[in-house]
Amino acid sequence: MNLTPEQQELGRRNFLRVMAGTPALAALAAASAIEGPLRGGPVRIGCIGTGGQGRVLLEQTDRQFAEIVALCDINPLQLAKADESLAKTNHPPAKHYSDWKEMLQKEKLEAVLLASPLFLHAEIAIACMEAGLHVLSEKMMAWDVASCERIAEAAHKNRRVYEVGHQRFYNGVYQAAYEGIVKAGLLGELYHARLVWHRNGNWRRHIDMPSPDYDASRWGYPSYDHLINWRLYKKYSRGHMAELASHQVAVAEWFFGANATAAIGSGGVYRFKDGREIPDHTYVTLEYPGGRTVVFTSIESNAFDNYYEAYYGTKGTLILSGEIDAFLFEEKGASTAAAQPKATGIEITAKGGPVGAASESRAADAAGSAAGGGRSGGGGDRNLAYKNEVSGFCAAVRTGVPLKCGPERAMGSARACITGFEAMDTQKRIEIKV
Amino acid sequence: MDSLSRTQQLSLVVLRTLIGWHFLYEGFTKVLGPSWSRAGAPIGRFTAAGYLRGASGPFAELFRGLADASWLPWLDLVVAWSLVLIGLGLMLGLFTQLACAGALALLALFYLSWLPTSGVHQPGGEGAYLLVNKNLIEAAAVAVVLAFRTDRIAGLDLLRAAEPAPRAPVAEAAR
Repeated sequence: MNLTPEQQELGRRNFLRVMAGTPALAALAAASAIEGPLRGGPVRIGCIGTGGQGRVLLEQTDRQFAEIVALCDINPLQLAKADESLAKTNHPPAKHYSDWKEMLQKEKLEAVLLASPLFLHAEIAIACMEAGLHVLSEKMMAWDVASCERIAEAAHKNRRVYEVGHQRFYNGVYQAAYEGIVKAGLLGELYHARLVWHRNGNWRRHIDMPSPDYDASRWGYPSYDHLINWRLYKKYSRGHMAELASHQVAVAEWFFGANATAAIGSGGVYRFKDGREIPDHTYVTLEYPGGRTVVFTSIESNAFDNYYEAYYGTKGTLILSGEIDAFLFEEKGASTAAAQPKATGIEITAKGGPVGAASESRAADAAGSAAGGGRSGGGGDRNLAYKNEVSGFCAAVRTGVPLKCGPERAMGSARACITGFEAMDTQKRIEIKV
Repeated sequence: MDSLSRTQQLSLVVLRTLIGWHFLYEGFTKVLGPSWSRAGAPIGRFTAAGYLRGASGPFAELFRGLADASWLPWLDLVVAWSLVLIGLGLMLGLFTQLACAGALALLALFYLSWLPTSGVHQPGGEGAYLLVNKNLIEAAAVAVVLAFRTDRIAGLDLLRAAEPAPRAPVAEAAR
């Protein structure tokens, strides 16, 4: 090929003229990769465990974020109630399963909401992640620390989104308290937090069998009582520490920016001596670096205090009550000595709904012993926190936005609470080594 | 095209490319749906229903009626893919004149459905318009691109021309 320099120049120019549109197209693709939207519809979800807590999650699932494809529970009565939950919130009916492995096999799921009894969390969560599914697990992370570690490892290895349902991380009251008060240093030096969850009622449940010939042993439970009251037996449960404290401890560790280093505990079955193994009175002290101490108490004999978290600093006291109210008191001698409580301005909602009726946090309340139920004043919406939690999980699945309570954060709380339970069980001080 | 300076030619091609980008990206986001923003918010499948229901001006009733038409999903599809194809045509300079005509037609529809007769700021709008709005201005820009035959300046249409572009240097060299 022999071209004169003029021919070459002209040919080059012609080529460039023809290709004029191409750089713009490449730029479009680049721009799309950087900032454009990501393809995908609602996350296809299956729910494993449709008891009270599972139904809370179902009812707070936004259809724009998730599509509930399948429900799994060994109790048909719970599945029927879950159907009602879906209908109430305009979700289309979902397919039923009693075996979660079968559900995983037959359904094209992307994620699961896991609300099974605690002792099953690890086995199910790990199997789901190994199968390529993302997991939003109810608290606590797992029954023992080794299982928590295996879950975290499975999430990491399979690159799956794993989140634990400590919904306070999605609660505007807590976010505001952390950003505006704790992080801003308004409490001064913080040495002590008191976590309280007091109820006056029997944790034991009395629920009719789905059918007279219902066989709980098919699912590994020696009796139907064990199936419905698994929270009262040590092989399935960690008692108040898992069902109640883990929420509050997770927040304490968030506010402290540290994990517990030791636990001391006492407690026992003092009131309801009905064959249960899990204490109905729990008193656990958790030690943190820098001389900081958290004291958690949960009793089933008086609901006057209801439930709250109080943070005592050298300049002020922050009380987060019932997940809806926040109060700030300044210490005498602090910069502006206004010793009046300052409630957040977030509007309180009258919603009762499934949270009030079903959540472990309100179990005693449901027994009719709620204290503080008539409290007025500013506050947030507990349901909204659950809704944000499920939506946030789905967003993380689809777009990779950061989780608010991923494996690391959940593990800290679980480790502290499991150790706290063991300290109470053995009446010893146990150091927590990571 | 010889009567236009290189700067003038370049300006016209840049204008065409920018309009093409606008159409293509509008179409791209519509055919992509359902999708999610990078911040984690779901974006539903595209439908013109909301846009049509908010129609204003003398033809508003006509357009509002379309919002409830049973064939609206088809209309949505046609609009989304038209935007994509017109955008590609303008950016690549392929079937440029046809793409310009399509762009003019769509912009005319957009303009007529939201004809700005109030002269005040509308909710959700970017400013206050009276008769002239951004759709009309973009349509005028498309008309300029159409009239100046940018298909003869740059783009893949040159390959479709009777005298293919690669031959030009030879012809000119022989002159």
